[in-house]
Amino acid sequence: MKSYSQIDGEIGDFSDLPFWKKADIVDLAYVGYGLLIVTLVVLSYALGSFNLMSRDPQDIDLSLMMAPPGTAGHMLGTDFMGRDMFSRLIVGIQAYFLPGLLAICIALSFGCILGVLAGYRGGTFDTIIMYVTNLVDSFPRLVLILLVIAAFKPNIYYIMIVVGFTNVPVVSSLVKGKILFLKQKNFIEADAALGLPTRIIILKHILWHNCRTLLIIQATLGMAEAILMETSLSYLGFGVQEPTPSWGNMVQSGANYFMQGKFWPSTTPALAILFTILGFHLLGDGLNNILEGKRRGT
Amino acid sequence: MKLSAIRPIALVLSRELGLTVLLLIGVSFVVFIILYLSPGDPFSVLLEGQLFSAETRAGVREALGVPKAWYAQYISWLAGMLHGNFGTSIRTGLPVLSEMLRVGFNTLILTIGSMFVTVLIAVPIALYSAVRGTNKITWFLTMFAYVISALPVFWFGYIVLYIFMHKFGLFPLAFGGLSSQKFSWLYALLPIFVLGIGNGTISEVIRSLRAEMGRVMAEDYIRTAKAKGASVWKHSFKEGLLIPVTEIIASKIPFILGGAVIVEQVFNWPGMGRMAWQAAQDRDYPVIMGIAILAAVFVRMGSLFQSMVYVAVNPRASKERE
Repeated sequence: MKSYSQIDGEIGDFSDLPFWKKADIVDLAYVGYGLLIVTLVVLSYALGSFNLMSRDPQDIDLSLMMAPPGTAGHMLGTDFMGRDMFSRLIVGIQAYFLPGLLAICIALSFGCILGVLAGYRGGTFDTIIMYVTNLVDSFPRLVLILLVIAAFKPNIYYIMIVVGFTNVPVVSSLVKGKILFLKQKNFIEADAALGLPTRIIILKHILWHNCRTLLIIQATLGMAEAILMETSLSYLGFGVQEPTPSWGNMVQSGANYFMQGKFWPSTTPALAILFTILGFHLLGDGLNNILEGKRRGT
Repeated sequence: MKLSAIRPIALVLSRELGLTVLLLIGVSFVVFIILYLSPGDPFSVLLEGQLFSAETRAGVREALGVPKAWYAQYISWLAGMLHGNFGTSIRTGLPVLSEMLRVGFNTLILTIGSMFVTVLIAVPIALYSAVRGTNKITWFLTMFAYVISALPVFWFGYIVLYIFMHKFGLFPLAFGGLSSQKFSWLYALLPIFVLGIGNGTISEVIRSLRAEMGRVMAEDYIRTAKAKGASVWKHSFKEGLLIPVTEIIASKIPFILGGAVIVEQVFNWPGMGRMAWQAAQDRDYPVIMGIAILAAVFVRMGSLFQSMVYVAVNPRASKERE
């Protein structure tokens, strides 16, 4: 089995170089691009929620329908009702931003609890949590969401609760793995021998000092997942409803004109989805490579 | 093979089978609980607008033999399902099971086909970068995988449709069957390719395959094989390729099935995904319940197949897993 594999982080720890000097340039580029996207998303979210845009996203201008990008006053053109694409894109961020944060909070908090139970307590808890993990993984996420939609109602927060819970197993297995690794290094035994209360060991020493980076990485990947789900469901007509813009329903409503050769009403939001999800993926993986010491290639 | 060699394998497989059954029971329970917690159970949907007072409703309930307690309801529903009775669709009035089997096959073609597409794209890239290490080409390939993993599959579907409409004059009216057009078989292949490329798992598949292959290539037995001039490919195939590929693909089945919901929508593919979409719109409980369970059965079968491959390739594993 993996008898010759190196224990992660054992070698690099001896050098005094800061992590960004040890890191691969490609990873730094990934993280840089990811941070750029995150900043843009947060800034645009603030712009949209304080209504600081030059044009109202709901402003219908029937004399300027389907204006191509570059039209004076409409940087990215207008859609089939003459609404400004650029401001709709910015407002579209609201469709996933807060719901996505909710999904992340659920995934991280429940993931930590289950992971600590499985790793720290082990035994029966571990077996039960393994079962639950397999159970959650048995459902295609989208089908489970459609089931919840049919049972309750199409609401983006319900959708994001499901997304959050389906991400719990990933987080909990990572936390558990980390705890088993710490146990192997007698870290937790040493803590207990010092007479530290369990609360401090778990919250401070395990979760804060050792799982912090892992959780940040999972949060970025979780946001990518949330964006993907929100746009997919809005595309299917279950997420955010017209006239409220969402990148998903913008693609959907623009799709009717796609076959006529008018690409921008659906391509612009689709590219926004593409670059944003790419940004969150690259940020997560770049951070993973840099901070968790996973080497690329081999 | 001696009996003593087969026994541990049979043991592992029977345990996997048992776990599958346990998980499917769990799946049905989750589905039931979601529906049970929803406002307005299927029963009251059925009676909507017909009977008004609570007493008459309770009367009809009793007359039809609908159990009151939740666990009794669950057990009778489960028993019905085991007899193949998934209920009837509220929208069409047809039995759910036969409808599901009709469309389930289409979805099976779509998902299995796109799994092959994913593997055909991911394996060469992973092999190349595992053997060659990091260089400009592998960097480019990795970037490419990242980009297509972030591609929204619905938009990608439109691009492909547009290209085919204008290049081949194909119109997305119906799938397969109508062979009057010259390229209609191509149209049946389109969704498979779109889902295979755009299901969002390619970069993860490549990364995990590359890591596994890299690990196997660094093993001592590969070095020995190289030293004595034996075929490295032959020695690394099972552990370096077959097991990782089945493992990662089996774990990605849920994502591919989820992607199928969207791709079927874009391409008008008459499968489970479209049916689920329709059912979610009509709040057609029996249909969406049946689909959720059938989808979970697909996922579990995939992982059962994966553990079968694992044990068949590596009989030693049956001892390790005990």
